[in-house]
Amino acid sequence: MPLGLLKYALSKEHPAPRFFRDCTEPKKSYDAVIIGGGGHGLAAAYYLAKDFGITNVAVLEKGYIGGGNTGRNTTIVRSNYLTPEGVNFYDASVKMYEDLSQELDLNLFYSTRGHFTLAHTDSAMRTMRWRAEVNKHVGVESRVVGPDEISQACPQLDISCSGQAPIQGALYHAPGSVARHDAVAWGYAKEADRMGVEIFQSTEVTGIDVKSGKVVGVNTSKGYIETNRVLSAVAGFTPRITEMVDIETPIVIHPLQACVSEPMKPWLDTILVSGSLHVYVSQSSRGELVMGSSLDPYEMHSTRSSLDFVEGLTSHIVDMFPFLSNVKVVRQWAGMADLTPDFAPIMGKTPVEGFYLDAGWGTWGFKATPISGKTMAETMARDIAPDLIEPFRLTRFEDYELTGEKGAASVGH
Amino acid sequence: MTGRIAKKRGEWINRDKPLTFEYEGQVVNGYEGDTISSALWAAGIRVLGRSFKYHRARGLLSFANHDVNALMTDGEDTNIRADVWPVSQGMALSAVNTDGGVVKDRNKYIDKLSPFLPVGFYYKTFYKPKSLFPFWEDKIRKAAGLGKVNFNYPRILKPKRYAHCDVLIVGAGASGLSAAVAAAKQGLNVILVDENKQAGGSLTYDFAGDQTTADTLNNLLDEVTSNANIRLITGAYAGGYYTDHLVPIVGVDGITKVRAKTVIVASGVFEQPPVFRYNDLPGVMLGSATQRLINRYAVKPFQKGVVVTANDHGYRTALDMAAVGIEVVAVIDMRRDGAKRDLAEKVTEKGIAVHKGSCIYEVVPASNKMAVKEVVVCHYNEDTAEADPRSAVRLSCDGVAMSAGWAPAAALLYQAGTKMRFDYDVQQFVPDQLPEGVFAAGKVNGVFDLKARLLDGQRAAVEASNYLGNASELITVTNPEMASPSHPYPIVNHPKGKNFVDFDEDIQVKDFINAAKEGFDNIELMKRFTTVGMGPSQGKHSNMNAIRILARIRQLPVEKIGTTTARPFFHPTPIGHLGGRSFHPHRYTAMHQWHVDNGGVMMEAGVWMRPAYYVPAGSHLSASDAVQEEAMAVRQSVGMIDGSTLGKIEVFGQDAAAFLERFYTGKFAGQKVGGSRIAMLLDEAGVMVDDGVAVRMAEDKFYVSTNSSNAATVYREMQRNIQLWGMQVTLVNLTGAMAAMTVAGPASRSVVETLIDIDVSAQGLPDGAYKEGQVAGIDARVMRVSFVSDLAFEIHVPYKAGMHVWQALMAAGKQVGIRAFGTDAQRLLRLEMGHHLVSHDTDGLTNPFEAHSESLVAMDKDFFIGQRSLKIIEKKPLNKKLVTFVLDNGFTGELPKECNLVIENGDIKGRVTSISHSNYLNRIIGFAFVSPEQSKSGSRFQVRTDSGAMVPATVTQAPFFHLLESKGA
Amino acid sequence: MSEFTYGGEYRDMPDPDTCTDKEWAAYVHYRNGAPGLKKEWWYHGPSGTWFIAERDTMTDKISRTYIAGQEEAK
Ligand SMILES: Cc1cc2nc3c(=O)[nH]c(=O)nc-3n(C[C@H](O)[C@H](O)[C@H](O)COP(=O)(O)OP(=O)(O)OC[C@H]3O[C@@H](n4cnc5c(N)ncnc54)[C@H](O)[C@@H]3O)c2cc1C
Repeated sequence: MPLGLLKYALSKEHPAPRFFRDCTEPKKSYDAVIIGGGGHGLAAAYYLAKDFGITNVAVLEKGYIGGGNTGRNTTIVRSNYLTPEGVNFYDASVKMYEDLSQELDLNLFYSTRGHFTLAHTDSAMRTMRWRAEVNKHVGVESRVVGPDEISQACPQLDISCSGQAPIQGALYHAPGSVARHDAVAWGYAKEADRMGVEIFQSTEVTGIDVKSGKVVGVNTSKGYIETNRVLSAVAGFTPRITEMVDIETPIVIHPLQACVSEPMKPWLDTILVSGSLHVYVSQSSRGELVMGSSLDPYEMHSTRSSLDFVEGLTSHIVDMFPFLSNVKVVRQWAGMADLTPDFAPIMGKTPVEGFYLDAGWGTWGFKATPISGKTMAETMARDIAPDLIEPFRLTRFEDYELTGEKGAASVGH
Repeated sequence: MTGRIAKKRGEWINRDKPLTFEYEGQVVNGYEGDTISSALWAAGIRVLGRSFKYHRARGLLSFANHDVNALMTDGEDTNIRADVWPVSQGMALSAVNTDGGVVKDRNKYIDKLSPFLPVGFYYKTFYKPKSLFPFWEDKIRKAAGLGKVNFNYPRILKPKRYAHCDVLIVGAGASGLSAAVAAAKQGLNVILVDENKQAGGSLTYDFAGDQTTADTLNNLLDEVTSNANIRLITGAYAGGYYTDHLVPIVGVDGITKVRAKTVIVASGVFEQPPVFRYNDLPGVMLGSATQRLINRYAVKPFQKGVVVTANDHGYRTALDMAAVGIEVVAVIDMRRDGAKRDLAEKVTEKGIAVHKGSCIYEVVPASNKMAVKEVVVCHYNEDTAEADPRSAVRLSCDGVAMSAGWAPAAALLYQAGTKMRFDYDVQQFVPDQLPEGVFAAGKVNGVFDLKARLLDGQRAAVEASNYLGNASELITVTNPEMASPSHPYPIVNHPKGKNFVDFDEDIQVKDFINAAKEGFDNIELMKRFTTVGMGPSQGKHSNMNAIRILARIRQLPVEKIGTTTARPFFHPTPIGHLGGRSFHPHRYTAMHQWHVDNGGVMMEAGVWMRPAYYVPAGSHLSASDAVQEEAMAVRQSVGMIDGSTLGKIEVFGQDAAAFLERFYTGKFAGQKVGGSRIAMLLDEAGVMVDDGVAVRMAEDKFYVSTNSSNAATVYREMQRNIQLWGMQVTLVNLTGAMAAMTVAGPASRSVVETLIDIDVSAQGLPDGAYKEGQVAGIDARVMRVSFVSDLAFEIHVPYKAGMHVWQALMAAGKQVGIRAFGTDAQRLLRLEMGHHLVSHDTDGLTNPFEAHSESLVAMDKDFFIGQRSLKIIEKKPLNKKLVTFVLDNGFTGELPKECNLVIENGDIKGRVTSISHSNYLNRIIGFAFVSPEQSKSGSRFQVRTDSGAMVPATVTQAPFFHLLESKGA
Repeated sequence: MSEFTYGGEYRDMPDPDTCTDKEWAAYVHYRNGAPGLKKEWWYHGPSGTWFIAERDTMTDKISRTYIAGQEEAK
């Protein structure tokens, strides 16, 4: 047992301080206001304070921190994307994640388990090679592997998928990881708070005050706050915020669902994704299988679950793992994914001065939490977006310069 | 069978069918009808499992399908819930999650470490130094999980059943049964479901020592079973509520998906444990669990027990215990004022001592820590929730029954979108605003008195009936004056803790206090930090106490704390039940059997199965040799491919040509009847999505083909745009109705000629021309095409005639050595011809300018889909261009593969999209995206192979046949 | 719902001859993603019919359906 735990047994009072203060009444004005207390908003607050010394910052969260998609996601972290700009960006995030537990002084259970994207068809194999080649080029560890290597890493997998869709190979990405989603939000909140950032829960932004094209304040359920820098990091709520400042974006909201099984002794050590079967699965350190599928087929601003989803998902899970027939699903849930047409985020400045956007995270944004926080903090502090996120600018749609991630769609966590 | 009592009226076991089974190596007797737990308990076995985190010995708690600490494996299956799963003859069971048996479990030392493992401890350690995390993680993973899954468990998919009804009633207790009878009387068609194997709910066990309720039950049951409008399903639970009143009913034999017009939730309540030190020892159980043991299974929960209660239900429990001869040492009532008089009197009449204003301060374990030895009873201050240890009295006993209150089984109500409120009279969350068509009745609705529950069922039935259009008189239910069924704070602090709130996750009172101290002081954060309610029972016995504890910490009323969301499933539901349908529909062409019979290696192509190549019986061709031979046959003589999967759409009407002009990039208005043109489709952003051929059959009629994988979407897009543009066009989708085959190669004409009744000579049917005639006596549509070879005939016939015509052509071609070729050879052949494949050589962003398809794009037309975007794109420099290339003559190195990258000065400039050796050309040719500067014929570029070698390639013109004349490039 | 296929938001096309590049790009790429009552394309598979549904994207309630261009003639 690690010695660090000794103090809990030896002291009478629980020797742990609050992670973050219980802020209730916002001040009259802040140097920056961040809408959304998910991983992204909290990370941006943290890096504003840490990298730029901007600590007079309020994070406004209408529910509780981490309660949006951050706390609902299936936590796959990887960087094996298709375009060099995508790979570079996510790779920077993976590298930050690797040291984040130490940096935030909290165990995020960042667990590098290896990630297999299974290919059941020729054309899927081609896409795997494409990704592998681009990844290698950028210096990210990815390669195409055959069924044998997949079986070695996961002997329980039925390579023929019960004869329904035989696996031809996979893209193997050794850095693929999972982490404790809540802890990421809490860790950023804790350290941001320590540096002076104020986090307000149960505080909803209801309007943004723009005068002559510049942000001057926000209306909230706790009153008006003056500020000339606002970051929107609200994922599934983005269209409601951009509507407040009259900015058009391509973002549409589709529910994304997931479920977990009852706990069993860990046997699945890797992360498996199958585009053709629309499933992905990993096993948490509690022993639960965490399973997800593709997006719900139509636009919806709701987090309700559907039976269709679990039916489709489980029918494919038994194709892959026939022996799971009598293992039970304990709980299903949904989040609201903010989708873009090219499966890449929208980050950076907007036509409204002082209004910054961090959105379009769809089904893939958890892995980007550290790097998006860091780059958005820089964008806000300097009022210039760093090169790393240039390809994700809002104007790319007007310019017909969409990112090429469109090529590698399907189940893209 | 020490614990079995004399036969009881209505018991659920069959004494005529004794059986034996094994538990942890010990032979145990039971009866048919017993659950695992009831049989074990009757046999005097008390340790039914070990807890998840601390490996504490646990017995029976709820006996109602949330005893997550009593999970078994029978060697085949795991995580079997002992409290509800029936025993069967010869079973060999053991508890899951132990090391060395449930009694000796080597992991029980973890309990001693618990002071070191405070709430959320794992967030605070194991990560420094970083390099040690994998070590700790491995340890944590070894400790995690409950049962071991059996990798040889068979694949069992249970087919779904479907049912419809006017009213689905969830829960067949007093209110549910009464609702069913009332609804049926209203003429409604009712499905009534209950998770227990017999209907009746608490009427089957909560007797308070006399069995008059059993009469009420029998009367209700008679009415239910004799009514043809009611379908009663027992032994199955409502798994969740989904939009439009869809409720999956989950039974052992699978799921019935019930689509109801209305739903009445009469699902009752879960009993909640009071919280005190060692409330988890085997022998300490809920009052209702003791009643179920006694009255359903005729098992004595203990010989000499105490009841600790904070409501009147504990007294009823005491009476049920006394009625079967259990020595009840005392009723310890946490309330200052005790129970209502008649109940208290009944209990004292039995000689049972009642201690008001008292609590169990702690249970004293037997020396083995696995049973109850005595309880320490103290005065209890209801306001401060503190016990006064100075007043301690020890009562010796071997078990404790606990009754402190209830939590509504409201999961379905929450999922349906019900707003709940906290009702202080009953100290329970009750429905406040119900969604349309959803009703609640009985205890879940806060109605506890039996008469009132029966009436509440009727009320809900009438409301449901009126919702469906009847106009019956509404019923009002008034709750009689009674003590609150739930205590506002049945929690006893203890400096040494081990007063458990969540038995799934081993969470104690101090864990909540500490979590709040650390800032996790709203219910959602607290849930996530402590993991309360996250275990397999999903908080059924813990969420309410957690809310109460947090309310006290925050000094807020309970309703300000709110509840956490109750998500499906109501009970964990098997994957094989849920996945009970297969998702892999395949379509087969008319010639499918021929392909199979002739060695076709079938591959999935979208929804279709197509031969990739053929390995005829007796031959031992490798895949690549087969492909090369097939292609060579086409070049040198003749081959034939099944093209039935092409999309085939007839477009006719006065606006047909005008429609195609708007829909596709090319021009069709001036197209000659009997001629064909390429039909390229873009999306609105100008990206290439499909290409096919449009034949003009008549002035007002076209026959259009699409790529196989796009058949359905192109047809749909056509339909949508006809509607949007308001054009006079009719579509017929002939994709499935027509078989198609292409006869290709220099000898193709000679083969076709023998079977056709029209002139197919070079003049009679020039390239691109279309004619109708008969092939092998079948009406056919015939087209000269040049996708895979200069001379080729595409023949479309009705699906039913497909096989006949195919075989006739095969026979006719026999003497010139005709070969069937598959999709792989087709890919090679079209490559030699220099034809790209949309979405193979292009991707989700490719526009026609990048794919050398300018000639197909009539920018001077008024409008076509994507045109306006192309006008914008046209002004921008191109990023990449698709070219045809050849590798150096005699190249022998590592062959580049599709999707290997084109690299220039260390930068990615493009990629190979197609590449193949051509035996016919004796060269390696392909398509690649390259930078525009490198796209001119003769330009050299470099491809990086898998292993990193750089392979030079030369841009060259296609068709590639010029390579045969020239020497090298 | 599986016999129905979602076809995206119904959007009025600007006049390609007179609109600016920017207006066209906005038409092609941008969407009104905020919750509320929206006009949407839906396709009914069994009958092969496209129709417009006015649906609240928050509650999933459909308030009106009609064939495109025929909403007045209801
Ligand atoms: C089921 C599911 C699985 C996923 N799996 C993965 C995965 O495996 N890997 C991966 O990388 N990504 C995954 N994602 C995506 C990922 O979860 C998100 O992209 C990411 O968490 C977004 O983080 P965020 O901080 O931007 O948003 P959120 O965590 O959603 O936070 C936004 C916050 O803004 C608040 N808010 C909204 N409006 C207002 C307002 N007006 N005022 C104040 N506050 C407001 C919300 O309450 C919310 O808490 C998944 C998503 C889902 C739903």
